[in-house]
Amino acid sequence: MIAARTRRALLYMASIVGGLAAWEFAAQGVSRIVVAPPSAVAVSLFDGVSSGRIPQAFAASLGHMVPGLAIAFVIALPLSLALGRSRTVADYLDPVLSALYAIPPVAFVPIIIVWCGFDFGARVTLVALMSFFEMLFTFSAGARNIPPGLIDVGRSFSARRFSLIRSVMLPSMLPFVLTGFRLGVIRAIHGMIVAELFFRAVNLGQIMKRDAAHFDSAGVLAIIVVLAAFGLATNESLKTLEWKMLSQKHA
Amino acid sequence: MENAVAKARLNSGLTAGQLRWTRHLVGTAAFLLVWQAVGFTLGAGILAPPSAVLPEFVAMWGDERLPGIIAGSLQQMLLGYALACAVGMPLGIAMGRLPALGFLLHPWLSMLIVTSIASLVPLFILAVGSGFEFRVLVIFTSAVFYVTMVSYDGARQIERRWLDIGRCFSASRVQQFVKIMLPASFPYLLTAARIGLGQSLRGMVVAELFVIVGIGGLIHDAGQEISTARYFALLMLLMMLAWAANELLRWAGWRLAPWYESSRRLT
Repeated sequence: MIAARTRRALLYMASIVGGLAAWEFAAQGVSRIVVAPPSAVAVSLFDGVSSGRIPQAFAASLGHMVPGLAIAFVIALPLSLALGRSRTVADYLDPVLSALYAIPPVAFVPIIIVWCGFDFGARVTLVALMSFFEMLFTFSAGARNIPPGLIDVGRSFSARRFSLIRSVMLPSMLPFVLTGFRLGVIRAIHGMIVAELFFRAVNLGQIMKRDAAHFDSAGVLAIIVVLAAFGLATNESLKTLEWKMLSQKHA
Repeated sequence: MENAVAKARLNSGLTAGQLRWTRHLVGTAAFLLVWQAVGFTLGAGILAPPSAVLPEFVAMWGDERLPGIIAGSLQQMLLGYALACAVGMPLGIAMGRLPALGFLLHPWLSMLIVTSIASLVPLFILAVGSGFEFRVLVIFTSAVFYVTMVSYDGARQIERRWLDIGRCFSASRVQQFVKIMLPASFPYLLTAARIGLGQSLRGMVVAELFVIVGIGGLIHDAGQEISTARYFALLMLLMMLAWAANELLRWAGWRLAPWYESSRRLT
């Protein structure tokens, strides 16, 4: 068990080191404007972090990602219960929801500008819009999959609707809520950077656009590395949390 | 819930399917009515009502450049998408069947799949400019990691005994790949194709809105107009394209392998 784990960790390290080496080697052959080698990206990243520029911008970016995600979650959860538990509600809403979901969210950028301007409100709206549907569809799949027996038990203890939702339905759909939340967070991170590039360039988006204008690909890549690392770390830690909570539940 | 359905059937004399479609229609009509009322109150500058959007949707075809622009956008999308499938599917299967390759590439794949394509756009502009290659590259990158990941999952679930049979009949590696692995992971490849197509469409809009060309460029320009009718008409067009592409793939999947149920909604 331990040996297998160590082996996997070693392979993981080998993959990262090998990939970086390949990147460094490949970057030797092309202009630095196009692809900076990882060593230059590391220097740029170090400068950005130690001067406080990247952490500051990153914190400010989170400042609109978190409210956007929270709004999407607060709307998606009750709506998913209605969709998942009532065939009638689902029949009424399905066509409109699928039609809206089919539109690539970035296409909403011009109308968000008309409605909310270029700044904070627009960024929060885009993040909420981009993370909403993933959460809604995953949550409502969870609500549909609640074993009918559980609800019958709740009913026979004459649980009221609210306590039925709180003590039977929500715990039963927890795995789906966790997965949906994880997908929603990833989408929210995407929305965060899309908003900063397509509305007024601020925070991380501003750094990227400025570095790109100065043909500083190392600077652009440094921000991409930060975003990728943040996305990966969030995804993996939420996955671990999912796994832990579920194994506890079934223990 | 079943009772309610049964009761409604008794009352209205409709079958379950008819009832469903009636509700679909009623729901859509209600949405359009609310949109109409709100749009009418706020004015076309903020939210053009359907009564303004529908005539605009018809009128915009009077511009003879429109079919050309749509065709151009779709051409780039299909090229990027085809490249993503051509690279992602074999790569994913190879990763799934060759453990060493899987271990080496998986960390990078899982990192790239959570990375926003929009964040790569400034880098791509530095690398290839903002022309045809740029748009194909953005679309390719939007789709390829998803296609690879789903194909990888598909290849890993191939049953061992099927591969054993191939070996028993001393199939060559190429034969094993073409005759066993590909068909066995078919449902996953189909899912990969559908997810990839959705991602390609998103990538297309990201790229075109960023450099303001094609359909995305039209959407951007329409956003600057005083009336939002043209904008919503283009949004409708985009929605129809997405829907048509999805239906086409579903139909293709059904034609290619009718024994697999592929109509589930997978995102």
